[in-house]
Amino acid sequence: MIATDVDSVDELGRRFAQQRYFADEGLLTAVHLALVLGRPLVLEGEPGVGKTELAKVLAVVLGRELIRLQCYEGLDAGQALYEWDYPKQLLAVRVAEAEGREVGELYDERFLLERPLLRTVRAAEGAVLLIDEIDRSDSEFEAFLLEFLSDFQITIPEIGTLRAARPPVVVLTSNRTRELHDALKRRCLYHWIPFPDAAREREILRARAPGLDDAAAAALVEAIKRVRSERLLKRPGIAETIDWAQGAQTLAADGVPWPAALRRSLGLLLKEQEDVERVEALDLRL
Amino acid sequence: MLVARDHLHAFLRALEDTGVAISPPKKADFLMSLVASPPEHVDALYWRARVTLVATAEDFDAFDAVFDAYFRGGHIAVEEETDAPEEGGETAAPRGDDDGALDALDAREGSGLHASPLDLANVRTFAPTSPEGRDELRALAGELDRALPQIAARRSARARRGPRLDVRRVLAAANRAGGEIVRFHWLRRPPRPRRVLLLIDVSGSQRACSADLLRFAHEAVRATDRAEAFTFGTRLTRVTAELDTPDVDAALASLSACVMDADGGTRIGVALQEFLANGRYVALARGALVIVLSDGLERGDPAAMGDAARRLSRLAHRLVWWSPLACDPAYRPVTRGMRAILGELDALAGARDLPSLLEEVRRLPETSARPRRTASRAWSTT
Repeated sequence: MIATDVDSVDELGRRFAQQRYFADEGLLTAVHLALVLGRPLVLEGEPGVGKTELAKVLAVVLGRELIRLQCYEGLDAGQALYEWDYPKQLLAVRVAEAEGREVGELYDERFLLERPLLRTVRAAEGAVLLIDEIDRSDSEFEAFLLEFLSDFQITIPEIGTLRAARPPVVVLTSNRTRELHDALKRRCLYHWIPFPDAAREREILRARAPGLDDAAAAALVEAIKRVRSERLLKRPGIAETIDWAQGAQTLAADGVPWPAALRRSLGLLLKEQEDVERVEALDLRL
Repeated sequence: MLVARDHLHAFLRALEDTGVAISPPKKADFLMSLVASPPEHVDALYWRARVTLVATAEDFDAFDAVFDAYFRGGHIAVEEETDAPEEGGETAAPRGDDDGALDALDAREGSGLHASPLDLANVRTFAPTSPEGRDELRALAGELDRALPQIAARRSARARRGPRLDVRRVLAAANRAGGEIVRFHWLRRPPRPRRVLLLIDVSGSQRACSADLLRFAHEAVRATDRAEAFTFGTRLTRVTAELDTPDVDAALASLSACVMDADGGTRIGVALQEFLANGRYVALARGALVIVLSDGLERGDPAAMGDAARRLSRLAHRLVWWSPLACDPAYRPVTRGMRAILGELDALAGARDLPSLLEEVRRLPETSARPRRTASRAWSTT
């Protein structure tokens, strides 16, 4: 159980909306249970549906520090846990030498460089740990994470075992470019974030692209829905929707009429030439 | 309350019956979530159950059906018993008579349009490798060494020169020398070969080239200790151990003893799914270069083949498909099976004999360098 003052799904939804994050009941329940049960939460979904954003907003809502571990192929334990600050140790040796006194203990916490996981353990007020794009890391790293996620402790041979004073809230995101280990999934809650429905997407647009007129927003959301139903190389997420709306808005402010503004800023929505061609062939009725 | 408890347990059992695997900690999570945060309506219960119990988006449909049946008064659509449900929509091999003999063994050449209903358990022997073949294999061995993708080992090792200073050792030496740095020590992560997984189609339609494909597999297994080979036709056989002998003809001879389905029908989707259903095999595909050597002529359900390719592609470092048919310049991946998988592939190319295999092995580094799942682009522009 992670102590928070947010004690219901509805309250969580209100707090998120204050931060301009509009989540559906499924996602809110997932976050709520992650807090109540103290389990890590795995979020999957198409790129751009707000997986990373959720962790950021959650940190604000809970008033905790956000610590982010960005995964990539070849990420190793040193970059995730801690490293010894050897230059600092070397300086300490030389200073001691110059002053003619004992060097003292070189492997103590003064010389420890915190990396995200160690910082999470040492955060006194508890943290929100975002392990972003876990599917990009090697499967060995995933196995290593298992140990950390089960009891939030880190063993440093020279010092001993450090344990988190307050358990962190852990959010893992994955774009499903590769399958995660069952063992990892078993320890976590799982939620798939779908594309938002039309009403929610309009709500998001209203908050993120203020000043967009309602008819244009409705046309835009309708167009996005059509575009997403196509077999594209890269389907646009919410981030792209917002970019598109803001781009079109900028053009409209320069006096370009709405439909043309939307068509001309299509490059903000689609990032592959094949997709642009395919969508231009559609009759989007913008 | 007792009724509710029984109902919940029946629900969990029903979920498991439909194949949604639920581990005990997940069940515990679910039950604890009900206590810690009692749901006020059915939707709230639904989300609590789905978030805690289901671990992958693929299981959502099955989960929804069971949930509706138990908590929304729906009915479970009982699938009608088909002739051979365990075969996944495939024609079953006829059971032998009581004395074990197959009835009406029809050994004539098939038209290629239908899978043979017979699970032909015939033994195939391979001709000895020709001297030219042995030369080509030697060339392949050299090329494999260069072309197979590598990955940096997880642990750094001491090195004469390297990208990273081994400050720990420098410090230790400096500490001994009174704080004076006498010389630098270096670290690097030595390259280590990625795992290679070969899935070789030995069915009847591949008859002309399967011997060379297996010779290639032998060479690959010998070239790196992280290669695995499987053959499939009507069933899946792991052949890594058989291939791992010094002499290629000896390896092929031991294969003909264990690969019982050579030259039978093809059920690519079923074979690949059998591979994926085994957790130990799945671990072999994780982060590996997966090469499927098959013509992709699926006689069964192309959707099964598509699903299997999608999963394989997500597990693999790169998923490469080499088809003997693609050697023909007029070849287009238009069969239903190939259309279903093309979007998941990193490369689709032709390979039917040792020279063409050598050619494709040379192209592997290029494939590893490209973004993922781009085979469809190469084939849509030509």
